[in-house]
Formats: sequence, C-alpha cells, structure tokens
Amino acid sequence: MTMSTASPIGMTSNTNAEPGFGAALQSEWTKLRSIRSTWIVVSLAIGLSIGFSALFALVSGLTHESWNDDIRAQFDPILTTMGGMLFGFILTIVLGVTVVTSEYSSRMMRTTFIANPHRNQVFAAKATVVAMLGVAISVITIPGMFLVSQPIFGYYGLETASVTDNDATRFLLIASLLQGLFYTLIPFAFAWLLRGAASAITFSIGFCILPWMLTPLVPIWVQENVFRYHPDIAKDSLFGVVEADATTHLAQAPAILVIAIWMTGLLAAAAIVLNRRDV
Amino acid sequence: MITATGLTKRYGSTAAVDGLTFEVKPGIVTGFLGPNGAGKTTSMRLILGLDKATEGTVTVNGQSYRDKRVPMQEIGALIDPSAVHGGRSAYHHLLWQAQAGGLPRGRVDEVLDMVGLTDVAGKKVGGFSLGMHQRLGIASALLGDPPVLLFDEPVNGLDPEGIQWVRTLVRRFAAEGRTVFISSHMMSEMEQTADHVLVIGRGHLVADVSMSEFMQRSAHSHVRIVSLRAHDLTPFLEAKGALVTNGTPNELTVTGLDAAAIGAIAFEQGIPLNELSTQRASLEAAFMELTYDTVEFRADRGPTPDVAFA
Repeated sequence: MTMSTASPIGMTSNTNAEPGFGAALQSEWTKLRSIRSTWIVVSLAIGLSIGFSALFALVSGLTHESWNDDIRAQFDPILTTMGGMLFGFILTIVLGVTVVTSEYSSRMMRTTFIANPHRNQVFAAKATVVAMLGVAISVITIPGMFLVSQPIFGYYGLETASVTDNDATRFLLIASLLQGLFYTLIPFAFAWLLRGAASAITFSIGFCILPWMLTPLVPIWVQENVFRYHPDIAKDSLFGVVEADATTHLAQAPAILVIAIWMTGLLAAAAIVLNRRDV
Repeated sequence: MITATGLTKRYGSTAAVDGLTFEVKPGIVTGFLGPNGAGKTTSMRLILGLDKATEGTVTVNGQSYRDKRVPMQEIGALIDPSAVHGGRSAYHHLLWQAQAGGLPRGRVDEVLDMVGLTDVAGKKVGGFSLGMHQRLGIASALLGDPPVLLFDEPVNGLDPEGIQWVRTLVRRFAAEGRTVFISSHMMSEMEQTADHVLVIGRGHLVADVSMSEFMQRSAHSHVRIVSLRAHDLTPFLEAKGALVTNGTPNELTVTGLDAAAIGAIAFEQGIPLNELSTQRASLEAAFMELTYDTVEFRADRGPTPDVAFA
C-alpha cells in the first residue's frame, strides 16, 4: 500500500450549491444496492413467494376432489394463488426494517447525518428508495404467483381466472402497488422508533400479519369496532379478501382512508422522534 | 473557526460537558486533550449536530451544523472510523457520502489516492485492518476538501509511517490556513503536532493555552541520577535547597538544582554517578498532573505523584 504525500491538496472550488433531494435519493440508493444482503432478500422474496404459491396450487390441484363443501367454498381462483405471500411479506418487512437498523447497529447513522444533517430529507429519501424496491418486489411476485398458479389449476380442473378478467386485473394492480408500500413503509417507521432489527421485525410482523389471524378469536364487538380500523384488515377489505358481509369489512373509500391515516401517522411519528432525539 | 459558548449537555442530572467556551482558530493545529469520559467525544458530537445541546451554542464558521446547506464542503469529520457496514466496499462507502454531499464521483478516486487505499477500493470494508479503517475515515473527511477538519483520535492504530503521514497532512492543512481540531490520547504525538491545546476534565475546560505555555506551566524539568551510593548524595543536595525524591533504590529525582551543580557536588563528595540526565517536561507529564483530579476511571497506580515524572 503506498501513501501519497505528493498529491496537492488545494482548495477545490466549492460550489456551495445545496445537494437537494435528488442527491439524497442517489446516496440512499447507492447504500441499498451496494450490499449483497439487499439482493439476497429480494431474490428470496421473489423466489420463495412464487415457488411456494406453485406448490400450494399443486397441492390444491391434487387434493381438491376430496375437499368438503366449506373448503371448496373458500377456493377462489384469484386469492388462492397468493399462497406464497407470507414469505414475500416477511422478507419485505426485513428490507424495510434493515435499511434503518443496519445503520444504527453499525453506528453508521452518525456518518449519514454528518454528511447530510437535514434529517427529514434523509428520512424521505430512505423511505422513497425502500418503498420503490418493495413495490418492485411485489410487482414481480404478485402477478408471478397468479400466473404460475393458473395453469396448475387448469390442469387439475379447478376454476381458473385470466389476467384480462376485470376482477383479476383490479386485484393484481392494487395489490402489486399497495403490498409493496405497506410492507416496507410501516416497518420502516417502526425501525426508526425502535432502532433495533430484532424488535422492529418482530413488532412489524405482529402488527402487519397477526390481526388477520386473530380476528376470528376476538369478540364480535372488538372485530367491528377495533379490528375493522386496523390498516392490514382494511387492506384485506380493499382486495376482497374480507367478504362484504363480514364483521370487519369496510367499504372502499373508508378503507383507503384508514390505510392512508395509519401510514402517514406512523411515518410522521417516526420523523418527529428522529428530529428530536440524539443520533 | 469553531466557536463554543457556554456549551452544556446534560443526561439526566449529570453534565457530560458543562459551560464550555472556546474558540478553535484557523491556521494552527488545536489539540483536544482529556482523560476518558471527560467529554471530548460529546463535544465533537455537539459540534456536528448529532446531539442537541442542553444549554449554550456551538457554531462552525458562525453557523450551527444543522443549518448548513453543504456541511461536507465546510467541515470534514473523522469520528468513528469503524462505523461502517462491513459488507460494503470502500469505494461505495465513500461514494454514498460524496453523493449525499453533492460532490462529483471523481472526488472518491481522488481521496482514495490521497490516503493510499486505491488498491483496496473494491474490497469489502469488513476485512480492513484498524489502520485501513482510520485511513478510510480520513478519506471521508477529505471528500469535500473542507476548510475545517475535526479528527477524533486520527492516529489510533496506525503504524509509525502512518502516524508521520497524518502529522505531515495535518500540519500542512494548518499551514494552508485551515482550522484543524484533533482529539487524542497519544501525548508524544500531540506534542509534535499541536500548536494549541484545549484540555477538558469531567466536562469542564481545564486549560486553553498554547502548547509551549502548557508544558512550561505544568510540569517541571528535573534531573535524574542513578548511583550505587545515591542515598549518600541526598543530604548534600538537600543542603543546597534541592527537593530530592527516591525512585528505585539507586535512583534519585532532583528538582531545584541543575545537572551541572549536582555533578559538581557528587564530584566534591567522591560519589560516582552512573547516570546524570536532565529530563525535560513532557506533554504526558503536564497532562497527567493537570488532570489527575479529574480522571473518571483510573487503575490503581500507587501513591499520588507530587512531582511529575517524564
């Protein structure tokens, strides 16, 4: 290793032009793309989701003739293709959290705010970059899961749906966009508040995924007055996962409002705390 | 120029730094000295806007850090060189910083060359040695070619060539008119590098003087004698008004008389000397004496020294 003492260190012309949001975006994207773990998580999210959906479709195809009426009634040519979605969601949550927590654990967050002390700008740039990557993942996985399952359903004589069906198109478009945003930005907010990867990931999984599982276990009045306004349940209403006559169903406009309020509220809380606390 | 006025940071009821008022001027190297836990790192974090002061202010060129539009082009900092993501290459680590500061990509190659890391630019930082981490940190500070430099322990982990390189770099920056603020524990190195010292102890400013004044003021030069008949010599020296302290059985430390006078007395009395040497004041001695009372964490080093030993 040679060291150069000869290179002149003159004062380069300092432009003094404020870097701006574009520079912050570029910087955050460089951070995200330059570590291998980002791409491992992305590949696993896509691969495991689509792979597991195919497997789920295969199992459905092989066993459907022995289904009882209840299970047969639950089958839906669109929604049953989403069998692998849990992998995608959990890995997307990991991405949304680690984009923040890896900087706290390595203490690199200090370097970040030394390079750019405008905390809201850094916050917004990180949010944008990780949300876009999350949407890229869901734009590939959700249609991917759908398309890989249809031929398998058809082969075994189950009801199929086509991409050109109105219901299917609507679902795929909304889900691709919303799942990517939801499973990155909400964990992102928790990550700033909690600062630790393990706690933020656990909390995010609990918040984003458990309510759907817990709904049948709680009293009706809790379902109607509390769970209905949880953003994950509202999202399920939007997708038609929650039946129109179910206790937790919300019409389209209120559902969108609930999701929007929760997401902006959590992000705002995270940004406020970031501005006030020491790095 | 870095200016602090009444700078105070409290955590609960303890003040990490309390009422600090100082000015770090351009054109010289200012050393920031203090025992562990004295508040050096807290002070630097306050300067860089990482922590919010409880009271008081600190500005860089008249402006607080968080109000600056392009801070990287005004002040370059080396705070914690190991604060990097191990899976990222050195090049990308500098690239994201350059981009955040609105600097051109070419700057990354330039600073890598300046610190001698061009050959390992593509390697993951996790595999770097301590010295390489330091150099990467210095490279980060130099990205914006700033007129103010803030270094927290820059020579930590460097080999002698590296230490000399940093010293040359830092002195050159000061000669160019930049403001250079360095905190360090390596007293022998600081002695050769800094022109002015700020000494901090338990959050308070203990000294703010030029290096030469600091060393003169605090530590006394003395004469060291090694002789097989050292104890015989003592009464004769004390008779002439010297203060004599015993070290190991054959060793004496004498203040109040110079080497020539002691040699003459020993010759008169026929006492052979194995060693007669003048110990000049050292920064380490001056520092230890000044901050003895303020050290927070100290291993047991035996009885209180009443004369600073070089």
